[in-house]
Amino acid sequence: MDALLTAHNTLTTHANLSTTLTTVDHLIDLLQQTRDNIAGPPPNTTVSAPLQIAKLKGPIRQTFEKAEEDLKEVNKGLNGYQKAWKEKFKGKDGLGMEGSGESLGGGGGGVGLGLGAGSGGASGGLAGQKGLVERAIAMHLLREGEFHVASTFVKEVSAQSRSRNSDGIEEDHSWLDDFTTDSDNVDMEDEHLEDDYEDGELYAPEVMERGYLQRKFAEMYRILDALRNHHNLAPAIHWANVHSDELGARASNLEFELARLRFVELYTSPQPDPSTSDNPDPSFSGPIAALHYARTTFPSFHPRYTHEISALLGALAFSPSLPTSPYHTLFSQEPTRASIATLFTTSFTTLLALPSSPPLLTTTNAGALALPVLTKYSHILSRTRSSWTTSQELPVETPLPGSMNFHNIFVCPVSKEQGTEANWPVMLPCGHVLARESLEAHARGKGRCKCPYCPVEFRVEGGGKRVFI
Amino acid sequence: MAELTSTKLDFDSHLLLDQPLLRLPHELLRKNLKSAQRHIEIANKGIAASIQTLTTHSSPAETLAALDATLLKAQTLKRKLKALHAEEATLHRQQKARIAHLQELHDIPTIVDVKYDVWAQTRLDRLLVDYLLRQNYLASARQLAEAKGIVDLVDIPVFEECGRIEASLRGANGEYGDVREALGWCAENKQALKKIGSILEMELRLQQFIEMARTGEMDKLMEAIAHARKHFVGGQDTLYGLRAGGLLAHAPDTMVEPYKMMYAPTRYPYLAALFLRTHHTLFALPAHPLLHTAVSAGLSALKTPTCHSAHNPHRGMSSLQHSSDKTTSTMSRQSVPPLLTDTPVCPICSTELNELARGVPYAHHTKSYMEDDPVVLPNGRVFGRDRLRGLNVKLGVPEGRVRDPTDGLGGAEWGWGEVRKVFIL
Repeated sequence: MDALLTAHNTLTTHANLSTTLTTVDHLIDLLQQTRDNIAGPPPNTTVSAPLQIAKLKGPIRQTFEKAEEDLKEVNKGLNGYQKAWKEKFKGKDGLGMEGSGESLGGGGGGVGLGLGAGSGGASGGLAGQKGLVERAIAMHLLREGEFHVASTFVKEVSAQSRSRNSDGIEEDHSWLDDFTTDSDNVDMEDEHLEDDYEDGELYAPEVMERGYLQRKFAEMYRILDALRNHHNLAPAIHWANVHSDELGARASNLEFELARLRFVELYTSPQPDPSTSDNPDPSFSGPIAALHYARTTFPSFHPRYTHEISALLGALAFSPSLPTSPYHTLFSQEPTRASIATLFTTSFTTLLALPSSPPLLTTTNAGALALPVLTKYSHILSRTRSSWTTSQELPVETPLPGSMNFHNIFVCPVSKEQGTEANWPVMLPCGHVLARESLEAHARGKGRCKCPYCPVEFRVEGGGKRVFI
Repeated sequence: MAELTSTKLDFDSHLLLDQPLLRLPHELLRKNLKSAQRHIEIANKGIAASIQTLTTHSSPAETLAALDATLLKAQTLKRKLKALHAEEATLHRQQKARIAHLQELHDIPTIVDVKYDVWAQTRLDRLLVDYLLRQNYLASARQLAEAKGIVDLVDIPVFEECGRIEASLRGANGEYGDVREALGWCAENKQALKKIGSILEMELRLQQFIEMARTGEMDKLMEAIAHARKHFVGGQDTLYGLRAGGLLAHAPDTMVEPYKMMYAPTRYPYLAALFLRTHHTLFALPAHPLLHTAVSAGLSALKTPTCHSAHNPHRGMSSLQHSSDKTTSTMSRQSVPPLLTDTPVCPICSTELNELARGVPYAHHTKSYMEDDPVVLPNGRVFGRDRLRGLNVKLGVPEGRVRDPTDGLGGAEWGWGEVRKVFIL
């Protein structure tokens, strides 16, 4: 890496066109001078005009030679850079690109992986599913909050698809309807958005579909913005209340966490609350307001969160000297706010049946980790001139970090094959799990058989019990 | 599941995706240099020639005039060089930004570091802009690059020019295209094209010939013959000359192959595709968008057979599926079955990527990956005991009873005694 940097610095410092420019300047001066001499006062013109010209030829030739040398310097600098580049990436001709000797060689074979013997390669598969890829990109843009880019993108896609349809090429762009809105500007400050979809029955399904995703994400960003930047919990609390049934069914703590944060806020920021104007002492107004809030909202959380509620209420007694009390950890706001923001995002996206971190990001990261393994394997394959037989499964293991294991994996200990729809895992009465085919092969023809891993015998009637990993 | 033995970052293999990034400014710099060389050569010849003629003229006025002309030439040269130098400075800046970006990776020790996420986000943005540029969504690409601040890391001008020329070749609304811009590009890159032995220019000239022959008028035909003599003679490939000759003998509405194909407007898309391929080869750009490569590799590595199975706990009737039940408004929240909130939803099972991943092979594993202390419920589902317990507490299931968290509060309930330990080897 450093070699590249030094090569680059060489280029910027002296191996560039600036030297050539100075040379050309020099040439111009030379010509100008001669011209002035010739056009100048009489004693010089008459005699030495041809002489001047003759004198010019030599220096001009020299100047051009110098210019060419300067250019050679630049060329050298560029070659140095290329060498450093090759050094760095030597042998890593991944992706089917051969680093050739010339700078302008370079075959552009994208995926020389040939994934999938029969299906024509995964990248070929992706290339044939343009509509789906574009939909994924559009959803990703919405997730990231780039609403303007997303709407430009959708416009461009529909424009292109219209012109392509006139060529008679059929593509599935039905997803576009989800993204186009009636009005191009999604009004982020519109408080009425929430009421709009609450009475879902009032709106026809088709109207709901248009711009649905965009509105949902706009709303999420609106609430997040209020939460993070304006320290305003009200929209989030309102949303949580509206969806409290579904949140409860998913065992989510969001509602309570929000209520707790609100309690903490009220407690620590003494604001003169007009409803408690009878309280003369301002230093107690915070805790009083918090207590008031607790009385109204906490009872609904009673069965599940009793312990936490009692902790919060106990803190009321320590209001004058909160930082030294045992409760001060409950009241540090900033980390709580960040974690609540994350919790909110997760809950919101879960209710939309979407993963919380952008799937494109996770996939790209996984791809970056898996690519070296796959390219190496394909190199070996091409050298031994063999190909792999399964097109459904990758031929080689692609290790990923633990955070990317989203499912449990079952591999039969006998056949070393993964559990699939065709060959599912079954459990024997002793508790061991095998693949269905392995069990059938083991118990072929016999009425009773023994588990391969423990001395328990059993009868094989309907096969083992299917388990869902 | 084979876990990564170490989370250490292996830089070299990581940078596979980023190689073209560094290469492009370099190629452009070389092209820049070659133009500079060409300009200087031309100016050299011009100035030397005019100085030569000067010596034969003796009158001062003519001398002055000739000198002025020479001066003008030199100044033009300076102006051109200045423009090239400015472009060079831009390219240097871009190159520096890219090297710096890759340098950042070296400072990140492990994959699980937070800084890696930031870097990976930038990489994804870069890949997205690259994809948008290639698919000709130029406005979105520019907007996204500016919004994310990665304008120096992507090559918008290169693709804009490429898109422009390709559009001119395709023509508007399926009409006949225009080869002039493409020919201009060929002239600029003549030496490079010759080095790779490209047939692009020949094909373009042939197209010009076809256009001339299409009119059928006599003088146009004579022009066509002259054009053919100029361009198709003397090359290695006599095929073009022969085809051109044969073409003249047939009228534009002929049924005879291959002349019918040559007259057809479908030649223009073919020329556009050829141009695109040549352009990418010239600048060492991969033919497929890098996004495809990365995403298809990632999809494969993440996919499990459960992702598309009917028993997948992560997938409900996703309300955003565009299957046949589009008319039934499954948009409401009630119809989405409960999901387990503590596990993140697998990217493959998500709406965005599920359909896309159908054709992709699933990942190969040699070891089972399971939670600790697996137990099986009477309905066949397997969970880790602690996690099952935790989920039930969250659901508010009373002590001693257990439910399947996948079914939530609507499913069956059992006693803990019915839950059996299972052994997954």
